[in-house]
Amino acid sequence: MVSIARKNLFEDLPRFLVAQAGIMFAVSLVTIQTGILEGFTGSTTQLIDSTTADLWVADVEMVHLELTKSLLFRQVNIAQKVDGVQKAEPLIMGGGLWLTNIGQLTPLRTFGFDPEGELFRPQTTAGSLRDLKQPYTVMVDESKLNSLNVQIGGSAQIRSLPAKLVAITQNTQSIASSSVVFTSLENANAYIYSAFSSKLDCKLEEEGVNCTTIYEKSDKADSFELAENLETPEPLSSTDAIAYILIKAKPGQDLEVLKQKLEAALPGTRAYTTAQMSKKTKDFWKKRTGVGFILGLGATVGVIVGMVIVGQILYTSVSDHIKEFGTLKAMGAPDGVIYGAIVEQSLWMAILGYIPSMVLCLGLSYWALATEGVIILITPLSAVGIFAITVVMCVGAALFAIQKVTRVDPAIVFKA
Amino acid sequence: MTNCQVADFYPIQKLVAVNNKQIAIAARGVKMVYQSGREIFHALKDINLNIHRGDIQLLMGPSGSGKTTLLSILAGILTPSGGRVNLLGEEITKMSDHQLSRFRLENIGLIFQSFNLFPALTALENVQLALKIKGIKGKKAKEQALSLLSQVGLADKTNLRPRNLSGGQKQRVAIARALTGSPQLIMADEPTAALDSRSGQRAIELLRRLAKEEGSTVLIVTHDPRIIDVSDRIVHLEDGMLLTSSSAIA
Repeated sequence: MVSIARKNLFEDLPRFLVAQAGIMFAVSLVTIQTGILEGFTGSTTQLIDSTTADLWVADVEMVHLELTKSLLFRQVNIAQKVDGVQKAEPLIMGGGLWLTNIGQLTPLRTFGFDPEGELFRPQTTAGSLRDLKQPYTVMVDESKLNSLNVQIGGSAQIRSLPAKLVAITQNTQSIASSSVVFTSLENANAYIYSAFSSKLDCKLEEEGVNCTTIYEKSDKADSFELAENLETPEPLSSTDAIAYILIKAKPGQDLEVLKQKLEAALPGTRAYTTAQMSKKTKDFWKKRTGVGFILGLGATVGVIVGMVIVGQILYTSVSDHIKEFGTLKAMGAPDGVIYGAIVEQSLWMAILGYIPSMVLCLGLSYWALATEGVIILITPLSAVGIFAITVVMCVGAALFAIQKVTRVDPAIVFKA
Repeated sequence: MTNCQVADFYPIQKLVAVNNKQIAIAARGVKMVYQSGREIFHALKDINLNIHRGDIQLLMGPSGSGKTTLLSILAGILTPSGGRVNLLGEEITKMSDHQLSRFRLENIGLIFQSFNLFPALTALENVQLALKIKGIKGKKAKEQALSLLSQVGLADKTNLRPRNLSGGQKQRVAIARALTGSPQLIMADEPTAALDSRSGQRAIELLRRLAKEEGSTVLIVTHDPRIIDVSDRIVHLEDGMLLTSSSAIA
């Protein structure tokens, strides 16, 4: 069967290639912009999504993963005793400063977890989690090895304490976050609070003595002088601060019911499912910061620019073939045949523009992740979504171009 | 009394036969007025015309006389500012756009001065496309297209694109395309203008065969005196007015 759309498209190869380059640019723009937006928000929740916890218990005023008030270590034991809880594990989070051997200073986000635990186990690409049980050992994301200027087995300092890199992980680094360092609970406690002096504050209350560890910035807070007579970090005491309690529910538990039980047992806390925790963090970055807006705007502009480019290309193509379409009209061809040819041409342009664009963008996203640790997230769903946008762009542009054909004077065919 | 004067006395609805010859094309009081700002231009002024079935009718006149405008109106491509046009017993000036398209598709074959072939399609595909929009597809369309191209002497050029064909060959492809669906009316605009002498003669012979052997009515706008020899009647237009109608054979 004769397809005038396909034949028209390939008739002038250089013009076809130029048109396809324009569409490829438009599709790539949309893919990269939306990929960066999705990659950015996705990267902020990678840690949450990688856990096997069913629930996260946090302070009631928690804003997102990296912005929360502290809980107490002893609350882990209380959570463990709640009916329906199979496992409760603490997660420590705090700030820090990384000092390389050559004197480079980098802000840090330190996460402390139980390396022998079950619920928080970042995947290692070198070394093992068990090595983190050793005093003053750390694990970093492979995308940050260059910026932290360290190799496995190498050393640096976190404030005034030594840090030896014993393991490397991947896909944990948030674009929005400082460089992330993982270590054991004890090490994390030492690193985070090395700049602080602590004292125990106990009060006699109705239910008994209630103690809290109070940290105050010490005189040596800004000093990077390596501590002398280094002691092994001490196990956490019941009054030490933690950020979250990760919960694994017993099989068959109703998570909504278990959340209520945990919140009742731990006043001042709120429990979230892992999905809720992830969404809360994503929503914060998307809706409450300029970053989400800017990237969202970029993606929207990408779609608009794409539509304009494709529209221009198709409009020009239709203009170039206007006499042919006029001839079809003069011959008495139904409008459906003419419009069908234009829409078919736009669909071919969409398909032939989309495929190389997607290959290009996948290569680019792989390169960005490998070299810069920047995630340009192209999921199967987003790939399908972008294909749909491409088709809508092209068919929308075709409908725009059809306007020109509807107005064409069939008498044009008699003009030499 | 000229042919066009005779027809003036008959209401258009009854224009089936005049002088025992069936009428294929009839125009009554056809006007075409273009307006540009305050300027009004009368491209056609009160045209009355009858064309008999099976005739080769020439429409001649100087450039700008309104020949192509009249052809466009008689082909149902252009709507006149006034007057009525009857083709094959049906008044096309009363038809909707959709009905008119359908009528053209089923009854009229068009041949253009600049051929208007689709450059991306081969000779065969150009003819097949015309068959496709007339509802003939697949193997049947291919067979018919090959047969039509054979009739115009292009059996060995079916897979060539227009850019690889000479002017005469392009016009023969255009004629083959116009013949798809065996239309009763063939309307051609300067069909030999872009052709050399030999190609022009071949195109003229094809059009003559269409009228005399197939019974089609052929209306040709032309300046080419070579066509006069094969025509049945000639009308002359000047400044949008029909001047004379004469029998070429007589």
